[in-house]
Amino acid sequence: MRALNTNIRCRLVVLLLLAGCACLAPCLAYAADEEGELDAVAHTADGVYLDFAPFGAVELPRIFLRKDPWGVDVFSSTRSALLSERYVIEHEEDGHAEVLHGEALHAAIEHHEHLYAKPQPVLGSMVLDLSVTRHLVFGLLAALITVAVFVTLAQRYRRHEDRVSAPRGLFQNMFEGLIVFVRDEIARPCIGPKYEQFTPFLLTAFTFILCCNLMGLVPYAGAATSNISITFTLAAFSFVVGQRRGTRAYWRHMFWAPGIPLPVKCLLAPIELVSLIAKHFALAVRLFANMMSGSLLILSLIGIIFTINMLFGSLTATFVAPLGIAFTLFISFIKIAVAFIHAFVFTLLSAIFFGMAVEEHHEDETHAEEQPALAG
Amino acid sequence: MDIIVAQSLLEPNAGLIVYKVIVFALLLFLLRRFAWKPIVSALGEREETIDTSIRKAERALEEARKTGEKNEEARRAAEENARRVMQEARAAAERVRTEELEKTRARIRQMQEQAQAEIEREKQRALEELRDEVAGLAIRTAEHILEETLDTDRQRKLVDRFIQQLPRN
Amino acid sequence: MDPTALAYLGAGIGAGLVAIGAGIGLGHLAGPAMEGSARQPEVANHIRVSMIIAAALLEGVALFGMVICLLLTLKT
Repeated sequence: MRALNTNIRCRLVVLLLLAGCACLAPCLAYAADEEGELDAVAHTADGVYLDFAPFGAVELPRIFLRKDPWGVDVFSSTRSALLSERYVIEHEEDGHAEVLHGEALHAAIEHHEHLYAKPQPVLGSMVLDLSVTRHLVFGLLAALITVAVFVTLAQRYRRHEDRVSAPRGLFQNMFEGLIVFVRDEIARPCIGPKYEQFTPFLLTAFTFILCCNLMGLVPYAGAATSNISITFTLAAFSFVVGQRRGTRAYWRHMFWAPGIPLPVKCLLAPIELVSLIAKHFALAVRLFANMMSGSLLILSLIGIIFTINMLFGSLTATFVAPLGIAFTLFISFIKIAVAFIHAFVFTLLSAIFFGMAVEEHHEDETHAEEQPALAG
Repeated sequence: MDIIVAQSLLEPNAGLIVYKVIVFALLLFLLRRFAWKPIVSALGEREETIDTSIRKAERALEEARKTGEKNEEARRAAEENARRVMQEARAAAERVRTEELEKTRARIRQMQEQAQAEIEREKQRALEELRDEVAGLAIRTAEHILEETLDTDRQRKLVDRFIQQLPRN
Repeated sequence: MDPTALAYLGAGIGAGLVAIGAGIGLGHLAGPAMEGSARQPEVANHIRVSMIIAAALLEGVALFGMVICLLLTLKT
């Protein structure tokens, strides 16, 4: 009886979703008429604005570090930076670039072209573009959410009786489950007995990446991890945290592997170094590529409707739209799984690299003799 | 314009990296200080508590089992004892009863025998008496006859035969 | 031939090859995993988890290829 009930409910939900897709389709087709095109790449890439279409966009503050003369310029938005006449953008046409001024500048701002151009200072040259970008905002938001959730969770363990009693409620059970999962399924088996010094990093990385990934599914938000700079930073942190704790035996095996003839040793050391860096590079690119391809895929699937609208007219698009939206829905479900899996994979691989770094190698005879001399 | 956007997809942004390093370092520090340390230590504490509780419970269970076994043994012994006592009591009662019965029966028999003997004796005495009486009577009769016939011997035989003919009782 | 066109061509062919490689890899991964979990349903959960991890790593490799294809199309 109960199973039957659930079955019916499931079918109802699917039907409702399909009906929703069907209802949404004409709207989208109509929107396609209005907008003309949907730029998947621009939505996936970083930008200096928050897009709240159809309610418009919010420009983010721009901060520039310049030299000759040295200085930091802060503007509330790209528009104000350009209108202050201290920064200019160039418009490239037919191979030669021209600096936009006056009317042309206003026209460019009108068409939001200024958001995609790289402003250059009139005085001196740019050292670092420290502008607040969309992915930074999402990353900060994810960091704030993570801190809020887990510091709130930590409050639950203040009293002694709460520390030893079973977790209560959905909130505590859910997040404690995550923590225990990272500690018992990732840190402990991959690192070994020294896992405790790495759990803070692994937990932070896991929760932050998970939060970022899940934010990629939130409307108007995006995954900060779909930005290569951010995943590079995460991988660099993983690299630093792991290699800082590397044992002597680990470095020794990397640069002066025992029991191998000297020429091979010289050959092996750079290979090992490159592979070490490549492993962490792969860590960054894997996360970035998965997250980026997810949002790119969803936007491209939606974009198919618009393309068909342009190519075959709005009637065809109306019929294609439910299909496209249903598939988007499917991909969105997959993205939920991918969000968890890639947070897990990043943490797991980090833990494996840590485990390699702190592993105590079983020294052979000649080694054991050398060891005290080295230590002394 | 499109090209710049597309390039930003794959091009690391130095400014963003600077921000991200600061943000992530801060996040790491904050979470480590205010979240992971209390939570992980609490989890460890809880695990330890659960572990010791389990060990304690196991020990208590073992003890309870031992006590139970001891109790069971004692109970069984007591039961055995009680059964034995009861059996003994029953046997004693039975014995007493049989003895009483036997005694009573013996007395009855004795009394019966006494009575029988008494009766027999009485009967014998009565017979004696009767015989004496009869003899006397006969003698007196004989005297009477003798007074008439003096053939006492014949008469005596006659009388004896008569007496013989009398029923024994 | 126009170098841009060549780059696009290369990117397209590369994306196809990446898809083929990833498909073969995932097939090799998923087939024995299915077989294993059918033979020993009691360890199916374990197999599924390791399969997902391996698939994620494999997908990572495929996405490397995809990134290269993207680079080809975008760096004109």
